[in-house]
Amino acid sequence: MDEIIYDVFTRKSRGDTLTHVGYLTAPDEAMARVYAWTTYDEENWFEMCIVPRSAIIPVNRTDGPFAAASHEVSA
Amino acid sequence: MSGVEAGLPGMDDAVRTAFRRLLLSLADSKRILGIRYSDWLLGAPSIEAGIAASSMAQDEWGHARLLYASLKDFGDDPVALEHDRQAAEYASMEALDAPFDDWARVIAGAVVVDGALAVALRAVAEGGYEPIEGRISKMLGEEAFHRSLAEAWFRRLAGSEEGARRLKGAVEEWLAPTLRVLAPDDEGHRVLAAAGLTLPAAELRARLAERVSPLLELLSVEMPEPLGLDDWDEGRGRGPGHPAEEAVERARGDLNRALFVE
Repeated sequence: MDEIIYDVFTRKSRGDTLTHVGYLTAPDEAMARVYAWTTYDEENWFEMCIVPRSAIIPVNRTDGPFAAASHEVSA
Repeated sequence: MSGVEAGLPGMDDAVRTAFRRLLLSLADSKRILGIRYSDWLLGAPSIEAGIAASSMAQDEWGHARLLYASLKDFGDDPVALEHDRQAAEYASMEALDAPFDDWARVIAGAVVVDGALAVALRAVAEGGYEPIEGRISKMLGEEAFHRSLAEAWFRRLAGSEEGARRLKGAVEEWLAPTLRVLAPDDEGHRVLAAAGLTLPAAELRARLAERVSPLLELLSVEMPEPLGLDDWDEGRGRGPGHPAEEAVERARGDLNRALFVE
C-alpha cells in the first residue's frame, strides 16, 4: 500500500498561530483527514489542517524533515 | 417536531414502550460495536488505522452511556442496564453478535451497522425528543469521521479481488438483518413513526440505501429487502440470538465488578 506523509497543523483558538504538531502516513487525503483528527486529539482544536509533506518547499535549509530532494536547487 | 419532554408524558404506553426499545437498541448496539472496534486497536493495517479504531470505540461507548442514561426517564436503572443484564437480554444488532474477524469486516461493519445507527439517530433527533436532541448532533459530528474512514477504506479494499470478496461476504450477510432492526415494519415502529418520534420504515430504509448504495455498486451488490418478521423478537427489536458472552462480560465490566465506584 503506497503511503503518503502528511504534516499536521493546528491552532487552539482563533487568534493562535497555526502550529506544526506532528505527521502521519496515509494512503490518501480522505484517510489522512480522519487519522489526523483521531491521532492528534489531545486538544479541542479550533482548527486542524494537513499538508502532504511533498508540498512543503524548504527555503533556507537542506536538512530536516521538510528538505525534500526534489525542491533543492543547486547554485 | 420539537420540545418532546423526557419520558414522553401523556403519550400512550405503546409509544413509550416502543421508544424505550429504540433507545435500548441504539445503546446496546453502540456498546457492542465499541467492543468490536476496540478489538482492532492493535493489529489494524497501520498504526493510524488502529488509533482511529480506538477513537471510534471510545466514541461508541460515550454514545452508549448517554443513551443508557436517557432510559432513566422510562423507569430503568442505567447502572443495571449497563452492568447487570444477561447476553440474551441485549438488543444489539445481529451483525455484532460475533467479533469482526478481519479488517474488511471492521470496515463493512462501520459502513452497514454504524451507518444504520447514524441514520436511526438522526431520525430520533428530527423527532425532537428534547432530552437527547442536542447531544445527538455532537454524536453525529463524531460519526461523520467514522463514515469518512469507513468509506475511504471500503473503496480501497474494494479495489482488490480479495478485499472485494471479503467485503461482499460481510455486507451480504449483514444488510438484510440490519435493515430489519433499523426499520422494522412492526406495530412498535409504526406507533413511533405515527407519533413523529422517528421516520416511517420506508424512509429509514431509503436513507440507508442512499448512504451505502455508491459503495455497494463497487461490489455489484444491491440493497436487499429487510428480513421478514417470522422470527422477530418484538421485545428486543432484533432477530433471535444474542451477542457472544465474552463481549457481554466485557460490556458489563465483570472482571472489575469488585472495583465499581458507581
